[in-house]
Amino acid sequence: MSTAPSIAQPRNSSVLAPSGEVTKQPSSPSGPRKPARAKLRPYQISLLSVVSGLLMWQFLSDVVIANPLFLASPLEVVRAVITLAETGELWRHVGASALEFALGYSIAALLGIGIGLLIATNDFAKNWLQPWISGFYATPTIALGPLFILWLGIGVWSKVVVVVLLVVFAVIINTEAGIRSTSERYLEMMRSFGATPRQLFVKVSLPSAAPFILAGLKLGIGRGLIGVVVAELFGSRLGLGRMIGASADSFNMPELFAAVSILAASGIAMNSGFSYLEKRLVPWTKD
Amino acid sequence: MSSVVSEHLCKRFGDLEVLQDINLTIQDGEFVALVGPSGCGKTTFLRTVAGLESADEGGIFLNGKRVSGPDRDRGFVFQNDSLLPWRNVFDNTVVGLELAGRMSPDERARVTRLLELVGLAGFEKYFPRQLSGGMRQRVNLARALAIDPKVLLMDEPFSALDAQTREIMQTELQRVWEEGRKTVLFVTHQIDEAVFLADRVLVFARRPGRLLEDIKIDLPRPRTMMTKRQPEFVALVDRIWRLIEKDVRESVLVEHV
Repeated sequence: MSTAPSIAQPRNSSVLAPSGEVTKQPSSPSGPRKPARAKLRPYQISLLSVVSGLLMWQFLSDVVIANPLFLASPLEVVRAVITLAETGELWRHVGASALEFALGYSIAALLGIGIGLLIATNDFAKNWLQPWISGFYATPTIALGPLFILWLGIGVWSKVVVVVLLVVFAVIINTEAGIRSTSERYLEMMRSFGATPRQLFVKVSLPSAAPFILAGLKLGIGRGLIGVVVAELFGSRLGLGRMIGASADSFNMPELFAAVSILAASGIAMNSGFSYLEKRLVPWTKD
Repeated sequence: MSSVVSEHLCKRFGDLEVLQDINLTIQDGEFVALVGPSGCGKTTFLRTVAGLESADEGGIFLNGKRVSGPDRDRGFVFQNDSLLPWRNVFDNTVVGLELAGRMSPDERARVTRLLELVGLAGFEKYFPRQLSGGMRQRVNLARALAIDPKVLLMDEPFSALDAQTREIMQTELQRVWEEGRKTVLFVTHQIDEAVFLADRVLVFARRPGRLLEDIKIDLPRPRTMMTKRQPEFVALVDRIWRLIEKDVRESVLVEHV
């Protein structure tokens, strides 16, 4: 009897196998495939969408709403970014916001994972903390921004606290859900091999919760960015939120849009960074 | 030396008597299959031997020692392979050794040979999602063998496979077993699978779950696909089917009402 298994193939293999062998394709019930037309790849479609959006924006601001008090065109925004970067003003704002975000986000990530693990494994802690977590998660805590400025001043720390409050609950809730959704099948298998409770936690619960924890952290990026900007709008000397507020007051549309674009770009960059991390760290969820 | 003994084993789930007074002895190195209709307690019996269920009365004795919980002297092969999706084939196979803190270079070399034995040479770095059902069950088997258990407990390991793969896996299992001649308890609902693999078939009945008959299978080894066409084989399968036919019909009826 031949023992060599012959049916291994990466599940997400595409049309061509590297060795030239024919990769098994799900047979389509609608008969033979249509001749391939020049098809756009997914990223080409997205790129095309962004470019046409920018063109539309340029057209709107040049022709339809040709009023610099209401709208800046993409070209003007680029020019504003360059000018601000040359004077160094941009970097002071970006640096301030980045520091606030980094501090708040890191604290929230550590705290959120820690508390999430605690309440997933300890029922007393769960019952003790649950009402607070549910309450704070449902509250628009951003509204407390002015209060924190009153308490902590208009420096970095009032913003950090707002970011922590906005991010931490998403991380807590996802971490807990991840640990609790560990498959009973895996746990039983490990128990049959004599695993201790500690080994079950480290070798099963933690890795199987990893995709959930990463999803919580990813969710936190957008929430954290909102926190930074809004908290700065409430009162600050530096930062992208401050830049938006100031340029709105003086009807400086190119600068306003410059700040918004930078925020958008950093959000997109961090999100794609996370998607990359997910592919590397938890590839088994991507099928 | 007798390997596994069940003495007056009783097990209840609430009012339901799942196992009623099971008495049997399984010799060292014997391949024993457990068959019976659904709900006859064959899987519960296996899980009790594994220590995943506890006895209400009586007990299981392994080489004279009472079983009180799972341990690494028994290797369990699960119906659902339960491979950890974040570990590759090799790391899944050594998981039992890792839990025991027995990860020496010698052991790693032994596991590599074991993977060759079950037909997985070259697939050490593959992840479960890249494997077919039959290959996943090979890993499942290798994982149980890796801890070098005294007794191998197999819970319908081939039931989720298609008919052809199942035939191949039966022959493969026989080949692997011939290499080490471990004591095996093999639960299945396929009578021909039980007769093909086992030295002894234990036939269970339902309501209450009890041992109905203990049938010796004297067919010569190694058995091949041809064995299944021999009149002795067919007669044995037929005899076992007659024993449980009424029970199976009842259980089917109950499940469909």
